Amino acid sequence: MPDLILSGVSKSFGSTRAVDATDLTFAQGQLTALLGPSGCGKTTLLRMIAGLEDPTRGTIRLGDEDITGLPAHKRKFGMVFQSFALFPHYSVRENVAYSLIIGGMAKPEALDKAQTLLDTVQLSKFGDRRIGELSGGQRQRVAIARALAQEPQVFLLDEPMSALDAKLREEMQVELRLLQQRLGITTIVVTHDQREAMTMADTIVVMSNGRVEQVAPPKEIYHKPANAFVADFIGKANFFDGVYRKDGVEIGEQAVHVPANFAAGSPVRLAIRPESACLVTEPGQNCIDAQISFVRDLGPVREYHLRTDIGPLIVEYAGTDGMERVAGDKTLVHLPVEALRVYPRAVA
Amino acid sequence: MTIADDIKMAPAAPKTPAKGVTPKAALYAVLSAVMAVFCIVPFILVIVISFGRKVDGAGWVWAFTFDNYQRFFVGILWPDEVTFLYLQQLGYSFYFAIIASVLAVLTALPFTLLLTRLKRRTQAIWLVFILASLSMSEVFIVMGWDILLSNNSGLPKLFQVTGLTQWLKDVGWFQILREMGLANPRNVKFKPSEFATILTMSYLVWPYAVILLYPALSRLDPSLSEAARTMGAGRWTITRTVTLPSIRLPLMGTTLLLFVFLLGSYVSISVFATPDKQTTAVAIYSNIRGSNLDAPFGSAQAVILLISASVCLYFGHLLNSKAEAR
Repeated sequence: MPDLILSGVSKSFGSTRAVDATDLTFAQGQLTALLGPSGCGKTTLLRMIAGLEDPTRGTIRLGDEDITGLPAHKRKFGMVFQSFALFPHYSVRENVAYSLIIGGMAKPEALDKAQTLLDTVQLSKFGDRRIGELSGGQRQRVAIARALAQEPQVFLLDEPMSALDAKLREEMQVELRLLQQRLGITTIVVTHDQREAMTMADTIVVMSNGRVEQVAPPKEIYHKPANAFVADFIGKANFFDGVYRKDGVEIGEQAVHVPANFAAGSPVRLAIRPESACLVTEPGQNCIDAQISFVRDLGPVREYHLRTDIGPLIVEYAGTDGMERVAGDKTLVHLPVEALRVYPRAVA
Repeated sequence: MTIADDIKMAPAAPKTPAKGVTPKAALYAVLSAVMAVFCIVPFILVIVISFGRKVDGAGWVWAFTFDNYQRFFVGILWPDEVTFLYLQQLGYSFYFAIIASVLAVLTALPFTLLLTRLKRRTQAIWLVFILASLSMSEVFIVMGWDILLSNNSGLPKLFQVTGLTQWLKDVGWFQILREMGLANPRNVKFKPSEFATILTMSYLVWPYAVILLYPALSRLDPSLSEAARTMGAGRWTITRTVTLPSIRLPLMGTTLLLFVFLLGSYVSISVFATPDKQTTAVAIYSNIRGSNLDAPFGSAQAVILLISASVCLYFGHLLNSKAEAR
């Protein structure tokens, strides 16, 4: 199966620009997550790939074939909808066999193949049931089996976990990932849940306001966010606004040492993950006076809310050794240079 | 203190207040009486009169005879001769009502589907317009169609003046229209005809069809047809395998309701149907209010029409229940 390539694809609804010109390559056999907040254009992008929306500009190619104008029913892309869109007037098996039957396969043969697919998604005993008799998780499996029945070249999923409860969602994320790896189908998942994207994806495309902010593997997205939006959207981060001076950022009276490629005097935003900052007792480089205002024990980690000269700061600590402090304690917080990120800041 | 003392000291149970007639109960009683007088009594009267007897050259008298029902099924000359005139009229009632209701639903369905895809504001304007058209009476609508289809001032005249009639003759289609009873030797002729009758009846109930189908169609999940599209289904396949089965119940319900409504259609039939294709509703009117002055037989026809409609509704309900059970 060839790569799916988007070149300058954009979409406008009237005067509203839903997706800016986008260039993306979805590698063969990989799972890519389109991640972003509501209204960022990720579903519109997926619908353009599926052929359910026509791009305003740009081309969509599957390998060498231009499929921009190809109608949805000729693309052979399997799609799982947010609402699952299962046909209530058919049984589970008939739902799965739908694409095969309308594709011309004899009904008994199509139903046999549907049964095999139901075995794959562990619903072998549910073939004769009506859709209304299934739970949310079972419906999702049926939707997946139905989309896979036509042996799609590309598998598209639009917020497939959003209708499931938290526990089931986690289980299904792992299951879906394992299934995708086993079948080796190029898969694109739309989600607004960064945990879901991190769990399943080979590559994450972070989107905001119709724009692609960063395309990278999950680890890189988390540890090397391309901009303040990505840093804020993926995981948690402390942000401080300041001005770049030689080899560091000046935040009020406090200077934080962090080399970056900015001209002196540039307005910048400094970011650090809560788990990257740490409480220390000995002064040193980038050690700032702080007072603990609130302590929250979250089980696996303890969260310290600090008041510092550069602003409020949250530190997460996962260890159990001698670090226990209480609200009101004075301390030092260390901001390691390698964990600090500096981003340009727009000045109003 | 003993338990007996406790019992003696316990306050007496409050007396149940005497049951009087509350205003609410009085209101219910009045409403029930009104319902009985204005709805049930006339209905019972029709049933009772249907067993009465016509007096030749005069009115009718109370009696208990099945002659009127017998006459309906085998004719007045039975046992010497069997005629099915009244059954035939009932047959035409069904014939016109079935075709007109199905036609109305079939034409209202694509329109309503398109309507649900318009912007909310445009939908509202259309719905208000359609609701407003419901306020027009059958007489008013039939009068309009009567003028439109009349031979001297309506469409036939337009056909003749614009040369369309001549063109139809030239291409040979005029003869087909003649065979269908829609033309005389000189020009097209739309009334009286089955065509005009069914067209007017469909037009009468078309707004009802839209209003009845609209809620179900507007609730139709668009992702169902999109899912079908991604699975290789074209437009017609989606309509056949997804849209129509999804709205099967409202579709059947609407058709049935329009059918029952049209069974009693009177003005359209009396204006547009040929005399040999009059329906039971027209015959009832002729017997009760018309020249026959045969209220017992008219009542018997009304009761049979009512029973026929009830049987249809019952079978419709059965079909719906089976479909829902599936």
